[in-house]
Amino acid sequence: MGAGGNQIVSTDFWSMGGYARFVWPCFAFAGVVLGWNLWSARRYYAAARLRAERALEAAMAAGEEA
Amino acid sequence: MRVGAFEAFGLVVRRELCLSFRRPDQLLQPLVFFLIVTTLFPLGLSLQLSLLRDMAPGVLWVAALLSSLLSLDSLFKSDADDGTLEQLALCGQGLTVIVVAKTFAHWLVTGAALVLVSPVVGTALGIPGAAFATMLLSLGLGTLTLSWLGAIGAGLTVGLKRGNVLLSLIVLPLAMPLLIFGAGATDRAISGTSAVGALYFLAALCVFTCTLAPFAATVALRITLE
Amino acid sequence: MWTWFYKLASPPYVYAAAAALAPWFLGLAAITVGYGLVDGLVYAPPDYQQGDAFRIIYVHAPSAWLSLFAYTSMALAGAIALVWRIKMGHAVAAASAPIGASFTVLALVTGSLWGRPMWGTYWAWDPRLTSELILLFLYVGVMSLRSAFEDPSRGDRAAALLGIVGLVNVPIIHYSVTWWNSLHQGATVAKLGKPPMPGSMLWPLLSMLLGFMLFYGAVLCMRLRGEVLNRERQAKWVREAIKS
Repeated sequence: MGAGGNQIVSTDFWSMGGYARFVWPCFAFAGVVLGWNLWSARRYYAAARLRAERALEAAMAAGEEA
Repeated sequence: MRVGAFEAFGLVVRRELCLSFRRPDQLLQPLVFFLIVTTLFPLGLSLQLSLLRDMAPGVLWVAALLSSLLSLDSLFKSDADDGTLEQLALCGQGLTVIVVAKTFAHWLVTGAALVLVSPVVGTALGIPGAAFATMLLSLGLGTLTLSWLGAIGAGLTVGLKRGNVLLSLIVLPLAMPLLIFGAGATDRAISGTSAVGALYFLAALCVFTCTLAPFAATVALRITLE
Repeated sequence: MWTWFYKLASPPYVYAAAAALAPWFLGLAAITVGYGLVDGLVYAPPDYQQGDAFRIIYVHAPSAWLSLFAYTSMALAGAIALVWRIKMGHAVAAASAPIGASFTVLALVTGSLWGRPMWGTYWAWDPRLTSELILLFLYVGVMSLRSAFEDPSRGDRAAALLGIVGLVNVPIIHYSVTWWNSLHQGATVAKLGKPPMPGSMLWPLLSMLLGFMLFYGAVLCMRLRGEVLNRERQAKWVREAIKS
């Protein structure tokens, strides 16, 4: 943002015409919700996969013993 | 011996009524709960009748919803636990007739009883006598609709050990339109304007729920019991 | 005639299709949301009444729309599963619920943050916000009912039925809340989006809407894979899929 003109534009942008303290938390929270969705979906899948792998190992171990 | 649908309906209703009159404490508890909750509001808010009158419809309706919900938990529970429900379902008339009869009987001993007590509560809350007709009619329609919504919820939670809170969690959001129109109708009657629109809405909701909910409640029972 | 339908709904097919689709959905969502953010926050002109606060619409409206869309797809997937006994419908419904609930929360929070400068309070019992709140309660009910059963298939069917009952109730709730509002207070609430929107404001909104839908698709696919694995843990194809 080196040049002076740009500086003004960028502070203008961040201040959102005085509504910054409402606009930015909204977008930040939207980011949190989107991020949470991705994170929890990945974690859900990873946990399910781990459980399935354990079930497979247990089945194979039982098969070897028999 | 095969029994006709109406005969089965009458027999089950009679059985339910007989059972609840043998246990009067269970009959009285929701009513006493209704009285206690409506007593809480004047104590917590204000003892002035003029102020209470503004709140009265909401207080009356919230108390009615809560006390009806309280007794819904037992709608199918004891009969499902001891196997009576399965036996009834085998009488050749299908589960739907049984569900309709049990829910109707439940409404008679809780909803209708609550409607009969409501003038006492209404007077205590400062509702003028001119508004009683609307209040009684709206409560009657509302509690009947609520019994049907509750039958779905009770059917869904009947197999669960601690289904009581879950039942309220499921049924209360569905019952919010009832609260809006019921309290709205009573509110209008108190202020002297026409409550016909809200009453029609309540009646429409009641007919709609009475038509569809029996089937939903039957499916719910099938899911949880089979 | 229906064989293609059943093939489409078979667990291995769903598992593979979800894996193939998820990155596409996610990539397209990143593009559309990215365009919507830049265009909506930087280039769209401020509203003549609400100034820059109207930019909240770019997250509020898509999340409110998505909360309803996810509920509808959850209920319909549950209905299909209940009527035709297609197990994958329950998996879709189970995967859809937490996503929809999270976007309902987002719609509520952004709506309330928008309300502060517009109405002077964080929470006015505005009909749309109120029905959004009731929608959140419906989501919570369905999700807790599903997890309340020890037998998962019973929980699935119970949740599906409750989802359908809720779907029938959604319009009733919406209209009764609107009616109740008009009874108690005049239309003091700012009419958002009522005058036709100029294109410079509308395009980023549509892009965000599309982007949120695509994002929902991506997360649904990812969750769906987990649901399928959980339901089919003992199946032979799962063992082969995991071994490789």
